[in-house]
Amino acid sequence: MKLRAIVVDDEELARVRLSALLKELDQVEVVGEAKNASEALALLPKLDPDLLYLDVRMPGMSGVELARHLATLDDPPAVIFTTAYDEHAMAAFETEAVGYLLKPVRREKLAAATERARQLTRTQLGAIAATNTRTHLAVRQRDGLRLLKIEDVICLLAEQKYTTVRHTGGEDLIDDSLRTLETEFGNRFVRVHRSALVNRDYIEAIERTAEGQHQIRLRGREERMPVSRRLASELKAHFQIPG
Amino acid sequence: MSPVRLQLPDFCTPRALLAVLVIVSLTAMLLALSSAGFDGLFLTELAHGLMFLVWVGLAGAALLCRLRGHIATQSVARGSAVVLSVLAVLIAVLSEAAYWVLASPELNPENLWGLPPGHHLLFVLRNVLMGLIVTSLALRYFYVAQQWRLNVESQARARVNALQARIRPHFLYNSMNTIASLTRSDPSRAEEAVQDLADLFRANLNEKRSLITLKEELEAARIYQRIEQLRMGERLKVRWEVKELPMLALVPALTVQPLLENAIGHGVENMEGGGTVTVEGTEADGVIVLRVRNPLPLDGAPGRGGHGIALDNIRERLQLIFGAGAQTRSGREGDEFVVELRFPALLTPPEMAS
Repeated sequence: MKLRAIVVDDEELARVRLSALLKELDQVEVVGEAKNASEALALLPKLDPDLLYLDVRMPGMSGVELARHLATLDDPPAVIFTTAYDEHAMAAFETEAVGYLLKPVRREKLAAATERARQLTRTQLGAIAATNTRTHLAVRQRDGLRLLKIEDVICLLAEQKYTTVRHTGGEDLIDDSLRTLETEFGNRFVRVHRSALVNRDYIEAIERTAEGQHQIRLRGREERMPVSRRLASELKAHFQIPG
Repeated sequence: MSPVRLQLPDFCTPRALLAVLVIVSLTAMLLALSSAGFDGLFLTELAHGLMFLVWVGLAGAALLCRLRGHIATQSVARGSAVVLSVLAVLIAVLSEAAYWVLASPELNPENLWGLPPGHHLLFVLRNVLMGLIVTSLALRYFYVAQQWRLNVESQARARVNALQARIRPHFLYNSMNTIASLTRSDPSRAEEAVQDLADLFRANLNEKRSLITLKEELEAARIYQRIEQLRMGERLKVRWEVKELPMLALVPALTVQPLLENAIGHGVENMEGGGTVTVEGTEADGVIVLRVRNPLPLDGAPGRGGHGIALDNIRERLQLIFGAGAQTRSGREGDEFVVELRFPALLTPPEMAS
């Protein structure tokens, strides 16, 4: 049976050409096209592709980040990147032995890459990413992935096995550990407790309870976040609060 | 650009010391020639002058060697003032010492220099004044030499910059991909795109003429837009408000096109829904104002920054041609990024700023 493929590229003419070449090669069946990462994600549960041709540079979310999110799925589709010119990405593709194609794509290279197409690991993708900071967090759902904008995430709370993401639209669970999240998003999130990271933009005030405990008041939220004694002084220094 | 500093030679090096000794000897010779008259005392005068001036020269070199770092942080005027006052004090002190030796009946019983008594102050002042004149001439020489060197450097840099300002590889490969696609679906548009690309590269690779008319530059930018339009389709809109501009005014090649390239690459291209770039130009009192505006993608989107290199590049080339008459400005205005260029409307090539 032929592999089912989706072509993802923000440029229409690039999609048209790649789809036409693939049709001629007859290795795969192009079941869909998407012009950005969110369109691609929306197609995923419906079309259940085996293979994605992903443009590296797209508005919104880059192809590399989309692939990173896809890699959190149990059985992610294989990925082949396409790029016109990106020295950093090309070097990383080589060292990580990740399939990629340079645009304009050559027919024989397309055939060879498609032949070798395979699933990518999160480690490989992490090494390829130009910056290690994602713009979204991927939440697994029954029928695929949902993406949360990182700026909508209020706080990250460590649970037994998972991490709870509290965001403007509710709560979700993700696989990433609090420690790796802190490394990745250290610019945006600050640790307030052994098991909690808070988005700086949502910190409205640091208060003190009658018992002398510090706590954080979050912008537009009722509940308070406790701050550990050890981290309270660091936090106050960071926000330049005297005392 | 950083303000101009006075860069003195390093007086600690043997080479500079030798130069100081040569200047000192020539000065001594000038003095001896002017005062010896016709009574054959030239060599005596020369010897006396040298004996004094070598001290001044060596002590002055030692002082300037120590002060060089400090002077390099001052403006030209302040640096020069420091050098002149240090040397004035040095000469005054040495003259005072020389006077005491020469005027002392014990040390100089024959009064070799024929110093008339009572001319103490006059002697010191005369030496200081002569010292200041010679030092001023030397400073002026250093300054002119430095300006000349800077000018040569900046011209070389401008050439390198013009090379760097050329079309980026990303654009080339993307265009090729577009054309490859059109070749199948729409051969006549593919043909147009190839012609546009050829014209654009011709304009870009033109080495001979660094100054072109505004009309030519805007045409190159429009061709660039046409090619990008094929690639980005509806997502890219460009508004041209340039009718008021004097189309025959001269600009450095690659002034507008790289700004459009930036506005697309760092702005519109990173927005899922696309956006509008505005190129607007006005002229008032002989000054051309060009503004390129683009919407900014949301924080965190890729491709931010990088505006800087192309802009620095254009700024330097404008300054090389128009000197202080050229001004550039860039920054956020509301939810747009704006780059503004101001330069005089010239119809004939100016002399290179010297």
